[in-house]
Amino acid sequence: MKMRKKPGAVLGIVALTAAVALSLSGCRGDSGGQGGGSASSPGITDSAITLGITTPLSGAIAGPGKCTVAGVSAYFGAVNAAGGVKFGDGKTRTVNIKSYDDAYDPQKSLANFQQMVSDNVFAATAGLGTPTNRAFRDAAISQKVPQVLVMTGDPLFSDRKQSPWQLGFVPIYQNEGAAFGKLLAKSGAQHKVAILSQNDDYGKGYVAGFKDAIKGASNISVVGEQTYEATDTSVDAQLTQLASSGADVFFNAMSITPLTIAALQKAQQIGWKPSWFLPSNTSSPTAILEPGGGSAYPGIYSVSFAKAPQSPAFAKDSDVVKFLDELKKYGNYPDMPAFPHCMWSYMVGATLEKAFQNMKEPTRDSFMTALRDIKDLKAPLMLEGTSVDTTVDGQPAVSSVVVQKYNGKGYATVENVG
Amino acid sequence: MSTAAATVRRRRVRLVLVAVVAVLLVAAPLILPAFANQTLVRIGVYAVAVLGLNIIMGYTGQVNLGQIFFVGLGAYVTAYGVNHGWNILLVFVAACAIAGVVGLLVALAAARLGGLAIAMVTIALPIVGVPLAKRLADFTGGSQGVSARFTDAPDWSGLANDQWQFYIVLVVVAGAFLLARSLVHGKYGRAFAAVRENEAVAASMGISPYRTKVLAFTIASVFGGASGFLYLAAVQYTSPETLSFGHSISLLAAMVIGGAGSIAGSLLGGAYYVLVPQLTNAIDPNLTTVSQGAILLAVLFLLPGGLVSLPRVVRRLTRRPPARRSISRPAAETSQQTTPAHRPVPDAAPEEREQTERQDGP
Repeated sequence: MKMRKKPGAVLGIVALTAAVALSLSGCRGDSGGQGGGSASSPGITDSAITLGITTPLSGAIAGPGKCTVAGVSAYFGAVNAAGGVKFGDGKTRTVNIKSYDDAYDPQKSLANFQQMVSDNVFAATAGLGTPTNRAFRDAAISQKVPQVLVMTGDPLFSDRKQSPWQLGFVPIYQNEGAAFGKLLAKSGAQHKVAILSQNDDYGKGYVAGFKDAIKGASNISVVGEQTYEATDTSVDAQLTQLASSGADVFFNAMSITPLTIAALQKAQQIGWKPSWFLPSNTSSPTAILEPGGGSAYPGIYSVSFAKAPQSPAFAKDSDVVKFLDELKKYGNYPDMPAFPHCMWSYMVGATLEKAFQNMKEPTRDSFMTALRDIKDLKAPLMLEGTSVDTTVDGQPAVSSVVVQKYNGKGYATVENVG
Repeated sequence: MSTAAATVRRRRVRLVLVAVVAVLLVAAPLILPAFANQTLVRIGVYAVAVLGLNIIMGYTGQVNLGQIFFVGLGAYVTAYGVNHGWNILLVFVAACAIAGVVGLLVALAAARLGGLAIAMVTIALPIVGVPLAKRLADFTGGSQGVSARFTDAPDWSGLANDQWQFYIVLVVVAGAFLLARSLVHGKYGRAFAAVRENEAVAASMGISPYRTKVLAFTIASVFGGASGFLYLAAVQYTSPETLSFGHSISLLAAMVIGGAGSIAGSLLGGAYYVLVPQLTNAIDPNLTTVSQGAILLAVLFLLPGGLVSLPRVVRRLTRRPPARRSISRPAAETSQQTTPAHRPVPDAAPEEREQTERQDGP
């Protein structure tokens, strides 16, 4: 009791010292990174490189978010175990992944980015979410930190002029709409198309891609077009309108799971049974098509570029077996991946490795040059007919998708509509 | 007479303290690394939002679950103004004023309802706000949000961006806290307290509970708008996600943890809002919600009055020795020398106080 004269003061001093020490260590780290070697960028040494991922690891979007970390960690876990990546400058480095939770909050993702800079992260990658990636896009540009192969369909990230330090990974919305439009135009048969789209960038992107692809195709006519708001709870009115147009193909650019299920059921009720197109994120066989009664329609089409590990067709595929094994071993993800983001971020790992192998100097500049020069890379898990191509302005790393048709259980790639 | 001298001295000590803190705050960004500055900037942003919440909830006792709506509104107004090339002062005034007017309109209706009904109305704000922000794409940029940069350091200043932002935020935060302090220490503060304790008694003293509530709510909204302006100064981007309902609850938790009904507590609340996610990220990014919950519970169990009550709790724990000292005199003299700023214990003998004076005199 007698010893405890002023614990408050002691506590204060300890806290202050800790704070000062922390900030000083951050300070030293900064200057140390710049001083080492011949102008190598922060986050890269002769033996290691550090990548940062800010993504939702808690909250409503934590499922896909965890996948983005797991996939990259799995890929580089295996690569590190085999010795590391041989970089273009001749040195072999291991790849460290630092993950940060942003809970899909833009403010937190910016904070995480600032933390990455002070943690000496070489580049931010694979993070999921449009608002969260947009929140630190400006900061990444002004500090010249790569923010690459991020999981957003927002075309802004693939615009070289506006986003010099960015590159999106997954196909932009336009790519998906265009893939289906092209196939439809190629079919040669007469088709009447009804379009329903979400009234925002998402829906508009799909429709723009689709319309571009069918431009000049005399066999395709758009006979009805409706929109809905992302906050709507029902699209029954729009469906009734579109059904009366007598369309045999229904292009539904919808991003909301329950609405998609309801739409599948409603169209059956009113006796309208066209072929459907659904975006890749609302076309899950188990979560959407089965409850919606998808097998009642002559065809449900969607697009994809990744092999689905759940699908029996790929159960023995060597890519899939290796991927699931590494995901368990290094990705801390023992279950069957429930979201495609696990596969996508695994491909991000492969794309990054390719860029590392080609970068001539240990700098961010050199990395961006190498990353923008990848063509025809067939990353593991990619479907036949798709590849990584980072050389085209305005396009993300993966812009090629293949159209697939629902066969009652899963999807299979198709060459023709009908 | 001796007590008067002590008050004067205490005031002088306080003045010196304030001056030291002011100098430290002005000098800090020049010394600290960028990340520390950026963190302090974000703390400032949320401290103002929590301060507003404290005025309506902590001081006036009305539950408000919609504060984040006003933060988002201020942020959107700021983004709109900046992107249309308005003068930055005008942008700031507009962000505060528009949030204030909306707050006033909501309060005029909501304050007529008693008790929990106000809480229900305020819940509606962020719930309506998110889809509204998505639909009014011409103003808000839709679901992709809108960027606006106006806090890059000008060339003449020779400062880095984070330092420049720090000073902008510092000016607004200091102004907000000084205003709030005067407000709650003056006649309105007493009116707020009266309404919080008992509306019938307040009415009998000639204080209209309705008008007081409307006033407190409007002021809280103005602070929310100011916080939104700062949000954009710090983050330079806003989207419908900014005003999602969950953040409103986090703000509320931050206010309670900082200390309800306390100006300094608002600052601590802002620090909590920003630092705890950073801390839990450092522990394990996969367990952020769990560790945040654990920290929340720990603070509320150990310090039910919020972080601001920490010195009080520490003082209570350290007061026991002085109580014994008044019995055994010699021990008291030695410890008195080591703690000159020690506040006189109420039950201590008057000679003891005189003794202190004499010791400090020459």
